[in-house]
Amino acid sequence: MKKRFEKVAVLGAGVMGAQIAALLANMNVPVILFELAADEKDKNALSKQAIKRLAKLKPAPFATSNVQHAIETANYDDDLLKLKECDLIIEAIAENMEWKKDLYDKINDFIKDDAILATNTSGLSINQLAEILPDDKREQFLGIHFFNPPRYMHLVELIPCVTTKLEHVNSLEEFLVTSLGKGVVVAKDTPNFIANRIGVFNLIATIHHAENLNIPFEVVDQITAKPLGRPKSGTFRTIDVVGLDVLAHVVKTMQDNLSEDPWHGYYQLPDYIRTLIEEGALGQKVGKGIYINKGKQVFSPKEKQYIDANAQVDETLADILKNKDWAQRFNTLKDDDSEQAQFVYRMMIDLFHYCCFHLEDIASNAADIDFAIRWGFGWDQGPFEIMQAIGWSNVIDAIEKHIYTDHAMNISELPEWCKAISEVHQTGGSWSPVQKTFSPLRNNPVYARQKLRENVVPIKTDLGSTIFENDSARLWNQNDDIAILSFKTKMHSINEAVLDSVMQACDEADKNHAALVLWHPTAPFAVGADLTQVGDELKAGNVAAVDAIVAKFQQASMALKHCRVPTVAAVQGMALGGGCEFQMHCNFTVAAMESYIGLVEAGVGLLPAGGGLKELALKAMQAAKGGDLFPHIQSAFELTAMAKVSASGIDAKQLGLLDVRDTIVANQHEILHVALHQARAMAESGNRSPRSDKPIKVTGKTGKATLMMLATNMLEGHFISEHDYKIAEGIATTLTGGDVESGSMVSQDWLLKLEREHFVELIQTNKTQQRIIHTLKTGKPLRN
Amino acid sequence: MSQTLQDAYIVNAFRTPVAKYNGKFKHIRPDDLLAHALKGVVANNPELKDRVADVIIGCAMPEGEQGMNVARIATLLAGFPDHVPAMTINRFCSSGSQAVALAADRIRVGEADVMIAGGTESMTMIPMMGNKVALNPKVFEDDNIAIAYGMGITAEKVAEQWKVSREDQDLFAVESHRRALAAAEAGYFNDEILDYDVNLSFLKPGQLETVQQEYTVTHDEGPRPGSTIEALAKLRTVFRADGSVTAGNSSQMSDGAGAVLLVSEKILKEYNLEPLGRFITSSVAGVPAEIMGIGPKEAIPMCLKQAGLKQDQLDWIELNEAFSAQALAVCNELKLDREKVNPNGGAIALGHPLGATGAIRTATMMHGLKRTKGKYGMVTMCIGTGMGFAMICESF
Repeated sequence: MKKRFEKVAVLGAGVMGAQIAALLANMNVPVILFELAADEKDKNALSKQAIKRLAKLKPAPFATSNVQHAIETANYDDDLLKLKECDLIIEAIAENMEWKKDLYDKINDFIKDDAILATNTSGLSINQLAEILPDDKREQFLGIHFFNPPRYMHLVELIPCVTTKLEHVNSLEEFLVTSLGKGVVVAKDTPNFIANRIGVFNLIATIHHAENLNIPFEVVDQITAKPLGRPKSGTFRTIDVVGLDVLAHVVKTMQDNLSEDPWHGYYQLPDYIRTLIEEGALGQKVGKGIYINKGKQVFSPKEKQYIDANAQVDETLADILKNKDWAQRFNTLKDDDSEQAQFVYRMMIDLFHYCCFHLEDIASNAADIDFAIRWGFGWDQGPFEIMQAIGWSNVIDAIEKHIYTDHAMNISELPEWCKAISEVHQTGGSWSPVQKTFSPLRNNPVYARQKLRENVVPIKTDLGSTIFENDSARLWNQNDDIAILSFKTKMHSINEAVLDSVMQACDEADKNHAALVLWHPTAPFAVGADLTQVGDELKAGNVAAVDAIVAKFQQASMALKHCRVPTVAAVQGMALGGGCEFQMHCNFTVAAMESYIGLVEAGVGLLPAGGGLKELALKAMQAAKGGDLFPHIQSAFELTAMAKVSASGIDAKQLGLLDVRDTIVANQHEILHVALHQARAMAESGNRSPRSDKPIKVTGKTGKATLMMLATNMLEGHFISEHDYKIAEGIATTLTGGDVESGSMVSQDWLLKLEREHFVELIQTNKTQQRIIHTLKTGKPLRN
Repeated sequence: MSQTLQDAYIVNAFRTPVAKYNGKFKHIRPDDLLAHALKGVVANNPELKDRVADVIIGCAMPEGEQGMNVARIATLLAGFPDHVPAMTINRFCSSGSQAVALAADRIRVGEADVMIAGGTESMTMIPMMGNKVALNPKVFEDDNIAIAYGMGITAEKVAEQWKVSREDQDLFAVESHRRALAAAEAGYFNDEILDYDVNLSFLKPGQLETVQQEYTVTHDEGPRPGSTIEALAKLRTVFRADGSVTAGNSSQMSDGAGAVLLVSEKILKEYNLEPLGRFITSSVAGVPAEIMGIGPKEAIPMCLKQAGLKQDQLDWIELNEAFSAQALAVCNELKLDREKVNPNGGAIALGHPLGATGAIRTATMMHGLKRTKGKYGMVTMCIGTGMGFAMICESF
């Protein structure tokens, strides 16, 4: 029988342990957080304090505020018996062999025979740790390496020791993937495992070449970010976020344990970083690190002080990096003598050299390094993927030439396999130096739930058969009778062509399919309406055309809702504005835990007019169950007037943006799997779409007045602007049915008409137009 | 000067301790709190129970646990005979003292000899504005929008119009706490407070049996030791982003009840009672709703005039501290002697259970006058939607 993880214990309520407990609690896994016993008054005070601290941490470890009460607290003096209830024990105490041994001795008798004991370490050897356990526990033991912050970092490395039972690795992998939504890489027991080994070397190489070529840190950060397909924090800002002391610890582990490594001489941080650490400039946590003054000033090793961070990337380099073709980029960089171009080139080629050299030691195959770097460091592509995109032989030649130059970090010869293969990733798998062949992705049955399993580039995933496709969207299926609609627009924004595609898809599904699923291969679900066309019509003074576009949006929403076959939205990432309205109109939503859902139109001076307010009014009536309707309308008003966005899928349920019966899935790669099953179940059950002629009970004039009382106090309190008040009035009017008696019934069409009227009225105001322009330009809201 | 056929004497004035919002009375119903106060005022003279002509109770949000004519319910719960009637009245924050005035007036016109007045409020159980808020849309159609203003906004407007600084408001709040703590420490409230025995029932965690939690509430919960100007200065404004009114310089939300026993001279003699004093007069006046906090400025002179007294003849003034801003504006405008205003602290420290406050502070004033051998005292407060109330009593 499949191993179940009914209850989990986390030992150690430090920053990682407590956050791991929070992750488990988010996913509704019963979890006990252990810490040393505090004073007699409340022996669990230490783990309680840790949970309290988490509630203030950013980014938020808790998916919604009341999750924190779900963590059970315990201490080692009184509660060890509770370990007997646990199927998984994650030990996350400080990285100290002696302390770990003491703890293992203490808990040994309380570990169930079939439980797994996993140590969350980033530095210690798993095999050495296994040796401090009694023989009979060693097959239950392995290493688990979460990345900070564990809720948001996709990667978890599993590090079996030589004695670990294979079935434990597999069952834990399944739990991490499906129940916690993680991406698992199984690593070998080498110092810093895979992600930190490669990722930290990359930092070292970056720092090294930046220093040699005199590249200002803020320029390094501009380059080693989005232009190279990496997170926007770049290199030095990332170091500030991670903490200079934490980086020093990881580098020290490499220095202490990798004496045979040809790059060993580089496993130390430059003097200025050591000085900064000594001076307490540890990074973001103390407000001072490589940068100070919110990033406005940066440390200059030359001047030994902070200077204004205003250096820029060379225009020529910026142009080179605009070209997304790695092969052309690489060749241009190679031949460009400018310091910045050479910085990029040398940093990359030393990284490639390092990866090729160490692959055999640290990972099963090349794909594991790529996944580790993607999931652990947030790169779009891992190093081997980039090498393959450049052209494998081209890169290998370049490395061979590079290592004979004076600026190469190391002269070690490449392993022979590098020249024996012509590509590192193939359809059948990725190169494994140990197996001397291309080995496939891990074949744990859990991955069958990932219909389009994430794979290394350039291996194409099977995207089924196309039913229709245009510039805006594609309707397809997996050779069965459930149609899947995927948007193709940037950030899956909704333009008029998308609206047409949605209606066409509904029509197609209606005629020829059993169900329709709305899903895109990558997040976000949709960032809202593309207002360009509306703006163009407005410029031309064509208000009637604006009204027509809004009406079409409503028709598309209504088509999703009242399609004669079930419609299911599969949401991951942001579902904002029109995107939120689409999922609200689908008959069912399957949302990834990491979904950020909101009707945010008020932020750009508008109100939800794709049926969102109408749906909220309808939901309010249903929730009131004949009782007092107003509190439900008030919640909907606050939600939309304040443009609230959910902190997670479960938070969206609490806010009323998801239905209580909607499903939350931990892993975003599994939402299509669940959505297809949901659609199938609904189709098989003879599901009928809700009726569009169902009247809605509204709170009318009194409801509106009472909502406007709230807005009036916000205005008088100078918390909102006159324009916010005007927007609030449009929202209040629509949600309450406007100028009708309290308790009267209105049609859905009436509420849709109110949405349109207020949308068209607001979009013609200067202030709303200023907001839209500002947001399109800066991505940030404008208060006016 | 007002006309009186016979005097109304205050024989007893008691109150429960005032608990903080969600505090020691979190699970205590306001009708139970009131019944406790009603029992208290007749405890020394149980024979008067039969003679009560009417019970008048103030309550500002009379619904839910304090709805359904809470006066009659609590009167019956307190063991008064069926023939003793009761009614609930509402003039928001002045309800408790308005009840005293109405009860006194029944005696003064010669139509009753024994009356009980009081007030009760659980702000924990019934929120400000009640469980169902439903504003009349017409307030937006004419000049009545101020009806929609929250009390905090009106306090900001008073602070703005009468130029009451944030620092002065915070200092006033610190002084309120200081006085309240000193009074409690000195035992000045002991004569007016009726201890309340709480007995609660909860499920034992993790078990299938209940457990009793018992405690006695003997003191007001609101006064906060260590309220300093520095601590208050750190608080953010809550009603206006760039304003001056904070949670620290506003009255506290609270739960509590009070009751006052009033009788005619005939009853005094018949039962040989020794009164605390006598009721003299009361007044009420309207002001614009948006500056409701200034209400006492109109009511106080009117009341003094009716009583034929000068302001400096007052020895004790209970000026309800809805907000530092309005209390200071009233004090400054009328040049009230700050030493005589709230000698035992006010609502910022002691709490403000809306409709109960008037009855509670009547007890504080009568016992305070007695202790300090003062003669004339006043209870006064501002009232939501724009009114002010004042009432003068004489201590013997």
